[in-house]
Amino acid sequence: MREIRATVLENKRIADEVYSLTFAAEEEIVVRPGQFCMIGVGGFPLRRPIAVCKAEGERITVCYRLKGGGTRALAREYKTGEKLSVLLPLGNGFYVKESEKKVAVVGGGVGIFPLIAAIRAYSKHKQVYAYMGFRGRAAVCMEYEMARGEKLVIATDDGSVGFHGTSVQAFMQDVDEIKPDVVLACGPTPMLRALKSAMHGRNIPVYVSLEERMGCGIGACLVCVCEKTDGAHARVCKDGPVFEINDVVL
Amino acid sequence: MADLSVNLCGVTLKNPVIPASGTFGFGREFDEIYDISCLGGVATKGIALTPWGGNPVPRIAESSGVILNAVGLQNPGVEKFIAEDLPWLKGKTRVIANVVGRTMEDYEGVCERLNGLVDFLELNISCPNVRCGGMAFGIRPENIEEITARAKAKCPSTPLIVKLSPNVESIPRNAQAAERGGADALSLVNTFTGLAIDIERRRPILANNTGGVSGAGIKPIAVRMVYEAAHAVSIPVIGMGGITCAEDAVEFLMAGAVAVQVGTQNFTDTRACPKIIAGLNEWCDAHKVARVADLTDTLQFNG
Ligand SMILES: Cc1cc2nc3c(=O)[nH]c(=O)nc-3n(C[C@H](O)[C@H](O)[C@H](O)COP(=O)(O)OP(=O)(O)OC[C@H]3O[C@@H](n4cnc5c(N)ncnc54)[C@H](O)[C@@H]3O)c2cc1C
Ligand SMILES: Cc1cc2nc3c(=O)[nH]c(=O)nc-3n(C[C@H](O)[C@H](O)[C@H](O)COP(=O)(O)O)c2cc1C
Ligand code: FES
Repeated sequence: MREIRATVLENKRIADEVYSLTFAAEEEIVVRPGQFCMIGVGGFPLRRPIAVCKAEGERITVCYRLKGGGTRALAREYKTGEKLSVLLPLGNGFYVKESEKKVAVVGGGVGIFPLIAAIRAYSKHKQVYAYMGFRGRAAVCMEYEMARGEKLVIATDDGSVGFHGTSVQAFMQDVDEIKPDVVLACGPTPMLRALKSAMHGRNIPVYVSLEERMGCGIGACLVCVCEKTDGAHARVCKDGPVFEINDVVL
Repeated sequence: MADLSVNLCGVTLKNPVIPASGTFGFGREFDEIYDISCLGGVATKGIALTPWGGNPVPRIAESSGVILNAVGLQNPGVEKFIAEDLPWLKGKTRVIANVVGRTMEDYEGVCERLNGLVDFLELNISCPNVRCGGMAFGIRPENIEEITARAKAKCPSTPLIVKLSPNVESIPRNAQAAERGGADALSLVNTFTGLAIDIERRRPILANNTGGVSGAGIKPIAVRMVYEAAHAVSIPVIGMGGITCAEDAVEFLMAGAVAVQVGTQNFTDTRACPKIIAGLNEWCDAHKVARVADLTDTLQFNG
């Protein structure tokens, strides 16, 4: 984990309200899939947590959806050549055991972005089945990256592309056929809840990456906690963002 | 190279820059980014007698130039601090243990347990508590004097800093109440109570509804309050509230502070504290100030 002054290489719109930002770190940075960074946006006291999509040596790519003032300023003001203050790599990231050969990834909303890093990493040595949910055609992006595995199902809420429904529904149609050894998921809390109840009793480990508002991003301030099923609090930024689905209260 | 060291209650700090309580944990995480032994001291996360779980999330919100937090003083309790964090932190820099409680006895217990073990105790009297019907001890002068006296009786060997709340009628009167109670130093300001609203949902952003406002936007109010406190008492004052750079720290020193704390800026810029230390040195050199301690209380009010 370190704080770098990165240089923006590219910051471009890739879908409706979605941008892809690539920056050059000062040196090679090793990032595990599911880890994230905290990006400083000029004029905003809090850095924005964004998952790392791609890490290729010094080149790091993140993708973000326009939400409020911070992401809008990031899209508007950080052109090629601008400097960016970034803390990375943060959090635990996904962990897939050597013995787990079939990996299913289920994503929705901005949750698809950390999963792209997982698809890139695990499709080299494992069979990856991807189920990715979008609002509609205009929101679909990064198909090329998502299609690296055995299978890709794009699900849209309005049915304009692919499966008509949620990525969880699409995945549950296939789960008994593909029999994944492990499931990695990221997306809005209702989606994760649906996945948790659908996977209940199946005896397949499911790891979810959570989102929470953050202060420091490095584990010091206790702003970003989630509740564990044993009643304890865990820090999403340091102990997470990835947790076993049965260990956390969703 | 200016002399950055300052003397606080007879204890030398290598420089006047201290990360503020609650924004720095116990220093471990920041030490992964930079060597925290460069700091004048570390004000720890508030420590209670027993572990506290804190508030539900969201615990943080942002507004122009400020943030609001309602962490609810989640902390591991004094025994875990002594067993796990203090041995790690001790010797690296001065340890300022921030103390929280819901009752007088909570505060007394923590002070007694940490007496002689840390360099300073800092009493956070802004927490809502049972005794004052949910209101903080730190609002009324009579409550401040009582809690200070009772805490000080339990920590005779460790200098006691009383951290003042800004959500009060009179800073000078509260500062004097702490001094009468036996405080060895004061620190201020804690956060201002605020409310941020999600207008789409017509609900507060924070689960706790209200939260403490901190960050750059509070600085002028904090500087005024530090000036008022420093001129009402003869014990040293540590200033904070919205410090983002060395120049901000100089303002607090000129207003009467002996040292400063930096909170929210640690989130904006993880290396804020070492940058402010370096900046203070540069500022002193550029202004031919040989010792940073010479800046304290040098403000001249217009006639
Ligand atoms: C570990 C992690 C990884 C993330 N990865 C991505 C990603 O790859 N792509 C992407 O588009 N988004 C991602 N997000 C969500 C992203 O952080 C928010 O959309 C963003 O912070 C919104 O900032 P804003 O200023 O546009 O919105 P505002 O609503 O104006 O932000 C106000 C404050 O709330 C915080 N906030 C608002 N929404 C969220 C949220 N969902 N999660 C955490 N903090 C929030 C902001 O950081 C800021 O402090 C991730 C969040 C986390 C915690
Ligand atoms: C997330 C957060 C947690 C805090 N926790 C504590 C605490 O435990 N005890 C305390 O005395 N002050 C606490 N504070 C207040 C700060 O120590 C400081 O007084 C305040 O933030 C003003 O300084 P700043 O504007 O530089 O942040 C907290 C502040 C923040 C932002
Ligand atoms: S954001 Fe500070 S502990 Fe997670």
